[in-house]
Amino acid sequence: MTQEEPPTAKLRLVLLTAFGGLLALVLVAGIGALRVLRELHAEEEHVRETMLAGGQSLTTLCTSLDVYRDRIQRMILYPERSGDAARDLAQVDTAIDSLLKTFPQIQEPEEKELVDTMERLFAEQRAMLRSILTWSPDERRRKGPRMLVEEMLPGGERIQQTYERVTVYNSRQVGAYEHELLARFEALQGSLGRLLLVSLGAGLVLSLASGFYVLKLERQGRRRYAELAGSRSELERLSARLVDAQETERRTISRELHDEVGQLLGAALVDIGRLSAMVPENNAAAREYLGKIKSTTEKTVGMVRDIALLLRPSMLDDLGLVAALEWQGREVSRRGEMEVEVEAGNVSDQLPDEHKICVYRLVQEALNNAARHAGARNARVKVEQKDGGIEIEVRDDGHGFDLERARGLGILGMEERVRRLGGWLSIESQPGKGSVVRARLPLGAAA
Amino acid sequence: MNPVRVLLADDHKLMRAGLRLVLEQQPEFTVVGEADDGRQAVAMAKELTPDVVVMDVAMPNLNGIEASRQITAHGAGARIVMLSMHSDEGYVLRALKAGAQAYLLKDSAEADLVAAIRAVVEGKSFFSPAVSRVLLEDYVRKLRRSGAEDSYDLLTPREREILQLVAEGKSSKEAANVLNLSVYTVDTHRANIMEKLGLKGMPELILYAVRKGIIA
Repeated sequence: MTQEEPPTAKLRLVLLTAFGGLLALVLVAGIGALRVLRELHAEEEHVRETMLAGGQSLTTLCTSLDVYRDRIQRMILYPERSGDAARDLAQVDTAIDSLLKTFPQIQEPEEKELVDTMERLFAEQRAMLRSILTWSPDERRRKGPRMLVEEMLPGGERIQQTYERVTVYNSRQVGAYEHELLARFEALQGSLGRLLLVSLGAGLVLSLASGFYVLKLERQGRRRYAELAGSRSELERLSARLVDAQETERRTISRELHDEVGQLLGAALVDIGRLSAMVPENNAAAREYLGKIKSTTEKTVGMVRDIALLLRPSMLDDLGLVAALEWQGREVSRRGEMEVEVEAGNVSDQLPDEHKICVYRLVQEALNNAARHAGARNARVKVEQKDGGIEIEVRDDGHGFDLERARGLGILGMEERVRRLGGWLSIESQPGKGSVVRARLPLGAAA
Repeated sequence: MNPVRVLLADDHKLMRAGLRLVLEQQPEFTVVGEADDGRQAVAMAKELTPDVVVMDVAMPNLNGIEASRQITAHGAGARIVMLSMHSDEGYVLRALKAGAQAYLLKDSAEADLVAAIRAVVEGKSFFSPAVSRVLLEDYVRKLRRSGAEDSYDLLTPREREILQLVAEGKSSKEAANVLNLSVYTVDTHRANIMEKLGLKGMPELILYAVRKGIIA
């Protein structure tokens, strides 16, 4: 298995990227739209200023021209009030002049042509005014009406025509302006739409990519889980085999000790007995030596027997589980370690060997812990067969132990034995309150 | 008098050889066969009908206790002397229940064998002294722990006499003859003894007697 980052960290990264990316896209789209809107607004202002202001100036110019003509006309019609008219005329003249001068430099050809026309008309009027001013009152009366009919009226008509053209031009300009705005708006719509499309596409790609990645991670996780489960069950099988192998090995060694070593020692004892019978009573030294050899050999026999029994409790084979448990209890009591009471009434003697050994070893380990590590003085072993299983309880009055710290190999071994037979094991212990070891082994169809 | 016919059953050849040597030194015994395991012991007991079977507890294929049960059940009347490494009451009681009349520790088997066979032939029980000692110690410790009284004190002198006779292997009728009582009276006493001592059956009674040192 290769070393990789844990899947959760990767998943977090992917989700962060995906959501972050989408958020960024939305942000970019929003900012873009805002910018286009602002641009549109500025453009509108600009267009209005340049187009409409120009049109306004044209109208004003045209109106001023008409006023100019009107004043000249009045001067002709009412010579007695020519002083007022001349003052007005001078004012209007200056206004038109300044208007013409301040007219925007950049002009459309049509606008330019209109301005030129008006300039020309203005020049005509001025010329007329100059000639009128040179007239005497008599001349005014004589020439006035003729000038009015021949020149003033056609001039007025021309100004009127020009005004109409200005109006048409202006309305066309407004139309163009609106058209322009519409075009701008459409452009904005288009760009917004594109932005949205891009965001949507990018979002789709992002979510698809992250989706696939999440799926991949999930597959990876599943595969790893399967691997883990596999190696775990492998481990369990291995440890089960280990327990089996240990039990087989113990049995073999026990048998070797009992059959071979025990027998040879037994034979030695028999020979010692015969030799003792041959040594004369008066040979005290030889008898003493023989006595020593005999007691050493007997001790050795006892030790070999104890070791063999520890390795493989032959009581299980000879007496069955219940008697073996009772024997074990008495044995612990006999050693003076602590008093053990065994209650194991209704347990069948037809249990599978594995179960018998499991119960026996479990009780052995629990009693050993109670006597050696918890300093217990009394212990109670209860084994019951009920509800298709065997229930074991070992309770002691020792000083207890901290489970977390005392999780030694003995307890692990007990757990292992119980688990491989499909049962459970629980240990309750509090410092100063003694311990209770409980276990249950299901029997299934076994017994 | 015909020699007592003995069958030896032990999976250890050396052990069998030692026992045979002890028995062959006594003209009153003759070894009629040797069995390697429990199954063979049962077969040979049926075929040879020995008077006594000397049987090891721990044997391959069929253990000595089970083999004894089968031989007793066969009803040919063979008496059984059990050999064991263990002086524990679990073994003694099982051996008695399986029909054994004598229980010897292997350590002292050669020394006690002749006495044990003589006892069972006479219909008496026999136990290695070490067995009685261990049983008594266990019993005393148990009494002390439970704080109970020794139930032996509850027995009347007459009941104690009857307990000993019965434990030695005498029938009610024989005991009645010894004590000049009626069989009915002896039976009543026996029932009372069992009741007072909380015993179920003869094997437990014999175990109790051994434990108390009433019989050896």
